[in-house]
Amino acid sequence: MTTPHVDPSTEQMLSIWFFVGVLTFCSGLIIFGEGIYEFWHPPSTVLANLHPAFWWGMLMTAFGGFYVLRFRPGKG
Amino acid sequence: MHVAPIPAILLLATTQLTHLAPVDLAILLLYFAMVIFIGFYVKGSTNTSEQFFLAGREMSAWIAGLSFVSANLGSLELMGWAGAAYQYGILATHWYWIGAIPAMLFLGIVMMPFYYISKTHSVPGYLQLRFGEGARAVSGVSFAFMTVLMSGVNMYSMALVMKVVLGWDINFSVWVGAVTVALYVMLGGLRSAIINEVLQFVLIWAGAALIPILGLIEAGGWTNLKAQIAVRMGSSDYMHLWSTLGSFKDNPMGVHWTGIVFGLGFVIAFGYWTTDFLVVQRVLSANNLRSARMAPIIGSAFKMFVPFFVILPGLLALVLLKDSSGHLMQLYPDGSDMVLHHGAHSFNEVLPLMMIRYLGPGLLGLGITALIAGFMSGMAGNVSAFSTVWTYDLYGAYINKKAPDAHYVSMGRWSTIVGMLISVGTAYLVMGAASIMDYVQELFSFFIAPLFGTVILGMLWKRASKAGGFWGLLAGTASSIFMWLMVLHDKANIRFMILQPHASADTILRVQAMAANLYRAAWSWLVCVLVTVVVSYCTRPTPESQLTGLVYGSTIIPDDGSTKIYEKPIFWAIVVATVLFALNLWLW
Repeated sequence: MTTPHVDPSTEQMLSIWFFVGVLTFCSGLIIFGEGIYEFWHPPSTVLANLHPAFWWGMLMTAFGGFYVLRFRPGKG
Repeated sequence: MHVAPIPAILLLATTQLTHLAPVDLAILLLYFAMVIFIGFYVKGSTNTSEQFFLAGREMSAWIAGLSFVSANLGSLELMGWAGAAYQYGILATHWYWIGAIPAMLFLGIVMMPFYYISKTHSVPGYLQLRFGEGARAVSGVSFAFMTVLMSGVNMYSMALVMKVVLGWDINFSVWVGAVTVALYVMLGGLRSAIINEVLQFVLIWAGAALIPILGLIEAGGWTNLKAQIAVRMGSSDYMHLWSTLGSFKDNPMGVHWTGIVFGLGFVIAFGYWTTDFLVVQRVLSANNLRSARMAPIIGSAFKMFVPFFVILPGLLALVLLKDSSGHLMQLYPDGSDMVLHHGAHSFNEVLPLMMIRYLGPGLLGLGITALIAGFMSGMAGNVSAFSTVWTYDLYGAYINKKAPDAHYVSMGRWSTIVGMLISVGTAYLVMGAASIMDYVQELFSFFIAPLFGTVILGMLWKRASKAGGFWGLLAGTASSIFMWLMVLHDKANIRFMILQPHASADTILRVQAMAANLYRAAWSWLVCVLVTVVVSYCTRPTPESQLTGLVYGSTIIPDDGSTKIYEKPIFWAIVVATVLFALNLWLW
């Protein structure tokens, strides 16, 4: 089998880290929203009083947001 | 990877553990939408065979490294090893540390240059260059066969877990998983699989890391956890990595340190991490030699911390998991009377049970999505490796040697679909007879240990001849199958494998299947090496000119471009090895 050279157009693709950022940002935002809701309607899980959804959602949103901005299309 | 206990008997559970809220479903749908989008998005850049099968060899060290470790981080392993930690204690950590890290470092420092310089597309491809067509055929056929079976096992396991945890219909899960994976691998090849593996890696950390954090808070910290486990189990043996391995009788797994060091740490780990094409393919996609060497080292650093969210939840469950009446919950082995007839939970359900304990709406969706991503990634890894080996090492080597490149890309896409259909067939086969799943896991281990013997001799010993490589591989594999049949026929035969012909019935009983596998692997590797050496000395050596780029001593390793100390792979390998050593000492 022959193996041609790599197509240079692939260098313009969106970064994998951008996809990572979008997924964590969106998931984080959903969980963060749920965390706010849970201040008034706490779930029946153990240690719900620590509000894990609120804090974890905030952390994921910040992490995802950073990756989206850092690796956004056209950023080079 | 290596012989994790499988939740086969979850099949018999009749009640679901929990259900998903709308926010959970939103996260799950977001993940599915994203992976399908990625498949379509990268299709345009997978037009050549190099792009489709090796992601254009343009992945950075970080991406190749995360993908490398993620390809092994399937949900079967996560659930199985969390269950093993509950059952055997902290000993289960050996499968993540000595059973992975040294081998990964060895791949990066010693073996990767040969794989990379030879420009091979696969491990069977390397065997063809080094030992000729015979060795490639044995390796290629067995690998292709095993990968589609493993993909089917993953598919069925995912459907089973979704049925038990969420009450989903098995047919629905099998087909949704199969169609999604087939679509994104067929469209985007290895590139698509790698992107999804990186996503899965992040999801697993995000979805699972909260469990040990909250568990440790509830237990009152690490010291309190150890004290509580010692009280519950009546001894502190569950929390020691090495001090209980002096005898088969002193630890819950029934294993001796020789089995852990030689069987697991040397043969199984090196066999899996350095010769299983499913993981090696990820590193071959690296964009230069330095990235190819750094990728396994980066992967090993992350691998070292996986026990935090796999082993620790299993240990925490020993003292925190309670039933509805507030008493400590007792989990049982798969297939036990308590699980089958009294509604008790099995060891392998420990991770979902811990998830339900701590994760409310939203977080639970994230955890479930991580599990599903792990299963799908396992399927994608197997199917993409299958399509590469089929197209390069079977179809392109024996059926149609001179087709245009576009034809092979097309064959890669079609073989992805066919591979996935065979996997679906396997999933239904396993559904009919759950014990088949255990056999498939065993089958996979038949080939790995001897293959490592053949590859390592091929890379490090110039005198190894073509006939030696072929007959060594064949003899090692045959010996592994023979030992397996021997123990299947009569478990007492284990005494020969552990070199204790006069072992008592109690000792034999204590040696678990997992421990027996370690010794079977070590012996089959030894048989492979001995036969390769003997046959090589009886046959003509391969001319030196044909060994360039393939064997140590006949190859000048090119400079990988690193100049400063912190750019050198060996520096980071030493850092990882030092941390590993310190962790083992801490938990001695």
